[in-house]
Amino acid sequence: MALIGAPDVAPTPPAPGRGRVLGPGARFTVSRLLSSLGTLVFVILFNFFLFRLLPGDPVALYTRGRDVDPEIRRQMQARFNAPIAEQFVQYLKNPFVPELPSQQFSIPVWDVIVPRIGPTLLLVGTATVLATVLGVWLGVRSAWKRGERFDRVATTTTLVLYSMPEFWFGMILLIVFSVGAFGLPGIFPVGGLSSPGVDVGTFAGLADVAWHLVLPVFTLTVIYLAEYALVMRASLIDEMGQDYLQTARAKGLRDADVRRRHAVPNAMLPTTTLIFLNLGFVIGGAITIEYVFSLPGLGSLTVQALRGPDIPLLQTLFLLFSAAVILANLVADLLYARLDPRVRT
Amino acid sequence: MTPLSRSRGPARVVAAIATVVGLLVLSTGLSSAADPPPPKSTFTVGVVQDVDSLNPFIGITVAAYEMFQMVYPTLTEWDAKNFAVVPGLAESWKESPDKTYWTYKMRPGLKWSDDVPLTAKDAAYTFNRIINGTFEKTNFGNYVSNITKAEAPDDTTLILHVDKPTPIMQTLVVYILPEHVYSKIDETAIQSYGNEPQGGKPIVGAGPYLVAERQVGQFTRLVSNPNFYRGKPAVDEIVFKNYANPDALGQALKKGEIDYANDLQPNVFDSLADVPNIERKSQLYSGFNELAFNTGAALVDGKPIGDGNPLLKDKRLREAIGWSLDGKTLTDKVLGGHGSPGSTIIPPMFESLHLTPANQASYDPAKARQLLDAAGYRMGPDGVRRAENGARLDFRLFGRSDNPFSKRSVEYIKRYLADVGIATTVTLISEDALTEKIGQGEFDMFEWGWVVEPDPNYQLSTFTCDSRSYEDGGNVLAGLSDSFYCNPEYDKLFEAQGSETDVAKRTEIVKQMQQILYDDWPYALTYYYDNLVAYRTDKFEGFIPQPDPNGSYLFQYGTWSYENLKPIAAGTEQSSGPSPALIGGIAAAVVVLGGLAFVLLRRRRAGVADDRE
Repeated sequence: MALIGAPDVAPTPPAPGRGRVLGPGARFTVSRLLSSLGTLVFVILFNFFLFRLLPGDPVALYTRGRDVDPEIRRQMQARFNAPIAEQFVQYLKNPFVPELPSQQFSIPVWDVIVPRIGPTLLLVGTATVLATVLGVWLGVRSAWKRGERFDRVATTTTLVLYSMPEFWFGMILLIVFSVGAFGLPGIFPVGGLSSPGVDVGTFAGLADVAWHLVLPVFTLTVIYLAEYALVMRASLIDEMGQDYLQTARAKGLRDADVRRRHAVPNAMLPTTTLIFLNLGFVIGGAITIEYVFSLPGLGSLTVQALRGPDIPLLQTLFLLFSAAVILANLVADLLYARLDPRVRT
Repeated sequence: MTPLSRSRGPARVVAAIATVVGLLVLSTGLSSAADPPPPKSTFTVGVVQDVDSLNPFIGITVAAYEMFQMVYPTLTEWDAKNFAVVPGLAESWKESPDKTYWTYKMRPGLKWSDDVPLTAKDAAYTFNRIINGTFEKTNFGNYVSNITKAEAPDDTTLILHVDKPTPIMQTLVVYILPEHVYSKIDETAIQSYGNEPQGGKPIVGAGPYLVAERQVGQFTRLVSNPNFYRGKPAVDEIVFKNYANPDALGQALKKGEIDYANDLQPNVFDSLADVPNIERKSQLYSGFNELAFNTGAALVDGKPIGDGNPLLKDKRLREAIGWSLDGKTLTDKVLGGHGSPGSTIIPPMFESLHLTPANQASYDPAKARQLLDAAGYRMGPDGVRRAENGARLDFRLFGRSDNPFSKRSVEYIKRYLADVGIATTVTLISEDALTEKIGQGEFDMFEWGWVVEPDPNYQLSTFTCDSRSYEDGGNVLAGLSDSFYCNPEYDKLFEAQGSETDVAKRTEIVKQMQQILYDDWPYALTYYYDNLVAYRTDKFEGFIPQPDPNGSYLFQYGTWSYENLKPIAAGTEQSSGPSPALIGGIAAAVVVLGGLAFVLLRRRRAGVADDRE
């Protein structure tokens, strides 16, 4: 009952002498690379037309309620409403760096995007790492102690956390731990990533950022955790009935080692896929959490870009997100091949 | 692995944690030891909208304009009490007898924040840059359209030449910029100039506060300007802190993380009732919302465009709709009572200009039905009236999907109209999509609003024939008009008010124009809405309302409150950020490092066990 199915092949212990299969391995790598590249090309083409289909006239929107010089209006008209073919050619020259600046900020799009990457990576990256480590650990323990109290408690708790709306959960944490409720003092800030006037480069600055990140990272970790724990538990339970574990036990290995050296590596495969898929989405930010805790990440930037719509910015953001997912998938595929040589052939 | 190395593993981890924690604690000690001066007073305003650009030629959000007026002064200002025009950088100003130029006498001895003298030359530079510029006209073009040239014969005299008399010369919202900074940024560079503070130094300005630090999406920090001509303000720093959602704004105020919350949602506003040390105010605001009609969409040259229902060209029908709307209930239900029913397009906040029409319509469906009957719109068998040519009174009504108030308003409007026999098909679309539909004249009615400036010229101009859409290169482009109202008599008065430099005479004309619009019903105003704010009463005092007594405390036309704010003596110990920050940071570091240590320890133990087997 794996949530994410491993390849439907009977598990065999890793083939010894991995170096010998370099030929098919290289072929596999090249084919994966090419297919990722193909996907990227498709996304680049699709991305262009997607944003040309959005309703709204950027010029009208920008000029509503402003007395804009006819000359400027004509210039904007020429830039934003150029013939589709002309725009397309312009776009293809460098799809990742649009010729036009962000409409809302009037500066090059990457100048808008780059400062937002750090906060997003800090938030979602930290939470993903914490959730992975804790989730896998929880999953392994639950599976190994299947049916025992630890398993029952852990599974129920993770399921409850998993099904909780993150917006709501975040808000509750914010009210209890930021503002203070039930006699608790408000310890953490309500929003933002750093305090005004604090230099982020110093220890005090780092501590300040950590202090700001505690609640959002905790919320996200708890929400993500369940997914890893459940997938890990399911796939380990699948493995636990396998004969090779009996063999390992028969060799006289201790239970903990049977688990750690034989069962877990095999059960890790679906989780690995999940981890890398999620890593690809890290860059997209966590829109709801960034919204609840007022964090200036890429998620909130996307929302802001949609009001407008700020086409050059949106277009670049979507391309960035897609590219990240494609890259993460590629890494997952290649890594999977290393972990499980069966998929290479 | 030997037992010795086994015990060293965890010891090393513990030592590492101890070092990190030690360093953190040490840095706290150091930073507090190196902080002998008295605590700075910081007034923190919570906002939901971020500054889009600090460059006054680019920024358009309300948040950005608040920064501009903090940093850059203007020649004249609007008084807090009643929007009277009062001296700013200019001490006095007068129109030449032949009405071809205006002379502004600047205060002597003015200085920019970097101690460079601020003279009439800076002002002349600013005006000439806009007049001769193209991109520079985007934000300020409407103020300089009649100005042909700016001159500074000496350091305290500014002369602005005009091609025709205009009253706007007394209320020019043109931020005077430092020539020694902006002359280095050419007309191409200015289009992407960020005007961000560099290297920890505030940007050069001459207003009460200067932007010293900005984290996009997080906060903007301003420091007081010792060279400000009305004197250095009492509060050292003002911080505008961004919150992504309205609930967080309320929570931050409760916590004391901010001292003032602007632009609250009604539910958040209500949730702050009876919270100790928090005062709430429903402040008069210069905005109104309306139900706008397509009075016959056409281009400036009169060529019809769009697909508006021709029945709405009938003023009698529009008037009947006006009588069928219950402004009181709309205000209560949509705004939670924080506003008042609307009448004319200059809000009552501008007391001297606002016209209260003698023939003001009130909610009276019986009268609406009677007007419709009299105009020949007879009730059909399906409860919907018919025009004399047999057409059903069935209109498309657009609401804005991105605005919760708009969504609720159109539902009420639909019901009110159905009640008098007018059918509507409500469609909710985004503001962008609606903007496009309006420009092309592809609508019957919509719900939207305006924010009105103290000078009525701009708002009045949205109803002139010339503000209708126009054609350029085969495309129909939107003008300012969204009702396509066109009335030569009104246009004549618009010209007259635009060249009347006598305040009393101009006010008279402006009132006449409001009356014409009121009688012709291009809009049926739904309500004037309030700005909901809440603030801490335990930390700062000295807010000045504009207008007196129920107007805005902040985000005014001017910086009156910021200049007058003072920390309350007892509450001067500000909640200093670093100490809880450090405690929290250390706690977080300990948790993370503890987790790491735990994992490492387990690895070690397992590793040792492995080796044994």
